[in-house]
Amino acid sequence: MKKVLVLGASGNIAPYVTPDLEKDYDLYLSDIVPHPDGKPISTVDVTSYPDVLEACRGMDALMNFTVLRDDPVVSFDVSTKGAYHVMKAAAELGIKKVVHTGPQLVRNAYDHEFGISDPPLAPGVGYYGITKYLSMEICEIFSRTYDIQTVCFLFNGLGAKPTEAAQGDFPPFTVVWEDLQRACRLALEIESVPGNFQSFNLLSYFAQGKYQVEKAKQMLGFTPMGGLEDYFRRTTD
Amino acid sequence: MNILITGASSQLAQAIAAELKDGNNIRLMDSVPVDVAEGCDFIQGNILDPDDSWEAVRGIDVLIHTGEPPTDLPSDDLAREQMLLDLATRGTHVLFSAGVQAGIKKFICASTLSIFNGYPDDVYITELWKPLPSPEIVEMTKYLGELTAREFARDHLITVTGLRMGELVLEEEVQEDTPNLAWLDIRDAAGAFRCVLNRDNSNSAEWTRRWAVYHICADIPNPKFLIDQARGIGYQPAHDFQSLYLSP
Repeated sequence: MKKVLVLGASGNIAPYVTPDLEKDYDLYLSDIVPHPDGKPISTVDVTSYPDVLEACRGMDALMNFTVLRDDPVVSFDVSTKGAYHVMKAAAELGIKKVVHTGPQLVRNAYDHEFGISDPPLAPGVGYYGITKYLSMEICEIFSRTYDIQTVCFLFNGLGAKPTEAAQGDFPPFTVVWEDLQRACRLALEIESVPGNFQSFNLLSYFAQGKYQVEKAKQMLGFTPMGGLEDYFRRTTD
Repeated sequence: MNILITGASSQLAQAIAAELKDGNNIRLMDSVPVDVAEGCDFIQGNILDPDDSWEAVRGIDVLIHTGEPPTDLPSDDLAREQMLLDLATRGTHVLFSAGVQAGIKKFICASTLSIFNGYPDDVYITELWKPLPSPEIVEMTKYLGELTAREFARDHLITVTGLRMGELVLEEEVQEDTPNLAWLDIRDAAGAFRCVLNRDNSNSAEWTRRWAVYHICADIPNPKFLIDQARGIGYQPAHDFQSLYLSP
């Protein structure tokens, strides 16, 4: 089984993704806080290069879910410098696969448009957006230079798939756990991506006709579960 | 005009100050003590410190961010890399945030043409080409600083101009060297800052007009880096390294 280091394993994303992956991958969970489900983790501070380098030894792939959203100092330390440490370690140790994550960086610029697949990113200067955007640039630079295949997923919201009818519109640019799990598997398995680095919008609700995931479909073979809009239909009788 | 120039200890900052000091009030900033030219002010402070940055930008009309690091970088490789990364990303963000809050409308940010070293020499590089920076820390962080500055033009009604500089040299000091396609005499580099000093699209509704980037290098025979766009704003390099190209 591939050995995969999960950074940020106790955060808002990884605990919903790793249970699906652990039967097929040898996962090494790491974070600076305890896992919400009590799973054993290694203490790895992504702002410390020695920490990251040591944790990466012997790994086949790295999944970086770390983030600190809106802090004038720590957002740069975790999101930007942390990504630098991860990619530097991958280069130093010859690790050829990285899965990176970030927020959607398009809604401020494109929310009045429709039929949008993967437009140029428009992060702006908010701490969350700019620090993750810079992290993606760092990933691309290292990937291009060291032949590291890096897949980056961008999303706006995460959540469970609906289980009952809702009265109201569905959330924009939101991906359900099952789709993110599927995307992560594809990212871990794909041999290569054009230019060694590609970022993909991920979402699970499409009926609004606004944001799309055509690039993820074409390059990764991503197939969202679909049909989730059916939970958001108003009664007409 | 009141002009702030960061990276005061660098040759570039001092050349810019010398170029602009007549007719302008120059304030130089660095985190290490620097003797500045007569008639210029100096403020010692770290751009990573919001208070220092705020003090530096008060009363300023044009902010010139050279992106040049201080002379007291850590000697340890990793600590140096982390400091350069911090200065280029968070430092630029802190400095520009302070500038925006202080009401500055014109920002100029220095970057580097080395981000195109990934291309072969048999192509003509203009501002239309995608940068391909390497992980070499100075090159990469200059690029990240440029991107950070650019985002301020996207979000604010300010003018931000990026100047991607060639390899800074003094023409008379490289007469024995093999010519370099990216060479740029430091005095010409300073002149480029004068050319964009008055560029002001701060009230444009389109951020793509508030932001502009220019390639700045010497006017050499058969160039790799074309400078036509910079010529359009009045850039006229005086140092062309002709003696090197004309020698047998």
